Amino acid sequence: MNAIAWRRTITELAAGAVPVLCILVPWYILSAGHFVAPSLLPSPVAVFVRFFQLLGDPQFLQNVGVTLFRLFTGFGIAVVLGVGIGILAVGSRTMGSIVKPLVRVLAPLPKIALYPALVLTLGFDHSSKVALVVADALFPILLATYQGAASVDPKLVWSARAAGTSQTKCLFTVVLMAALPSILTGARIGLVISCIVVFLAEMITSTDGLGQLLVKAGRTFQTVDMFVPIITISLLGLGLNGLFNLLSARLLIGFSTRA
Amino acid sequence: MARLLSLPGIPPLLACLGLLVVWDILARVFMISGLAPPLEALGQIPGILSDPEALINIADSLKRMAIGFVLALAVAMPIGLWMGRSRLAAAFFNPLFMVIYPVPKAALMPIIMLWLGVGDASKVLVIFLGVSLPVVYHSFQGARAVEEKMLWSAAAMGVGPVGRMLRIVLPTTMPEIMVGCRTGLVLALITMVTSEMIARQTGIGNIFFTALDMAQYNDVYAMIIIIGILGFVCDWAFEAVRRWLVSWADSAHEIAVGSA
Repeated sequence: MNAIAWRRTITELAAGAVPVLCILVPWYILSAGHFVAPSLLPSPVAVFVRFFQLLGDPQFLQNVGVTLFRLFTGFGIAVVLGVGIGILAVGSRTMGSIVKPLVRVLAPLPKIALYPALVLTLGFDHSSKVALVVADALFPILLATYQGAASVDPKLVWSARAAGTSQTKCLFTVVLMAALPSILTGARIGLVISCIVVFLAEMITSTDGLGQLLVKAGRTFQTVDMFVPIITISLLGLGLNGLFNLLSARLLIGFSTRA
Repeated sequence: MARLLSLPGIPPLLACLGLLVVWDILARVFMISGLAPPLEALGQIPGILSDPEALINIADSLKRMAIGFVLALAVAMPIGLWMGRSRLAAAFFNPLFMVIYPVPKAALMPIIMLWLGVGDASKVLVIFLGVSLPVVYHSFQGARAVEEKMLWSAAAMGVGPVGRMLRIVLPTTMPEIMVGCRTGLVLALITMVTSEMIARQTGIGNIFFTALDMAQYNDVYAMIIIIGILGFVCDWAFEAVRRWLVSWADSAHEIAVGSA
């Protein structure tokens, strides 16, 4: 990189830090200068100190673990179902004509509205939360798979068919692989959605998990403890998003970067 | 038969019927406890919709949703367009939005309630936050893809920066902005329901969870259907507006998804 490019990068980094500071600094001034009561807005220092304190607390970590367990179970099921149904909908016309109208009806439905029904039928435990995560994460993955698989270059399929690959095998070895960039984009969106939804489900009815920590702190007006779960879930979301990007960069070696 | 199936409204209608049948089978044959049969739930809908108090609640919710949505459009669209046309603005706002993106917006509700109370202001703010992000993102992506040559020609013909923004960037970006708005609309509905579930006072979420607390399960399922229909109608109405506004561009995305 030459000097001009360097200067540009540094300017951009500095510019990016400004709005984040614009939130943190007034937050700090407001709370440190006692302009607002700490019970309404605790200082950012207090929140982060509490966050790092709690990282050593086994009970807090157990709650994080419960949330992560629900998150990954739900996300895993959603990936398998979404990719499977999406590929099948492209592969077979009958499946396609069943899946498309169903998705059209179900995708705009706010899935959180299903949560009471899920609680009533599946109970208060893990299964209702996992089911909600599946319901919410499924559609972005399904749609991305469908769109990716439907726009695969037909020449790829023709060549594979001409080389003697069966139609079903073609679907999984050619179409699935060629749709990978689109599938991964959908899965990344689904992952962040899962993070958010699992937290909301735990806020509404739960006995454990991060969302429940927030509600419990809110009931006793422990404002600092209210900020900590939100920061934790946001950091989890950011971290998982970053990890997923690394993973997909590895998986997509050889694909053109535009996809 | 094939011609009937190719009518635009028929396949979704059939899908709805299919869902109701599956639901009915699950409720009757498998006798899942807590799952009311669909006919009983559907039977509650006229009762809810003719109750003036429920209608006021629903109107309240829709009003908050509309205010939050319009405010978000008014703020997010210019920011997104500006980010798309200026490198500095993009570098300025991008990290902020990256940090905000994974925050569960509706989870901020308890904290916002501490500051703004349980009234309309905090719910509108949450809806506003939920809608803003996709609108900013899609305006940004759209404005970035505007062809430079058009801007150069306009500049050569003496159109000022504001004129270029309004007469070239905005119309060119419109289809992409519409995609963002559609996702935003879905998100507005979700954040609306969620915020009312957390701060129960008025609105759809309030009727919904009061019914759940009172163990009126038929009402709960009826509300799910009403919210579902609301989502579908919003999506359909928006699609009509979109087609009218940007009839010259074909839509790349068929269905919007989102979650807050």
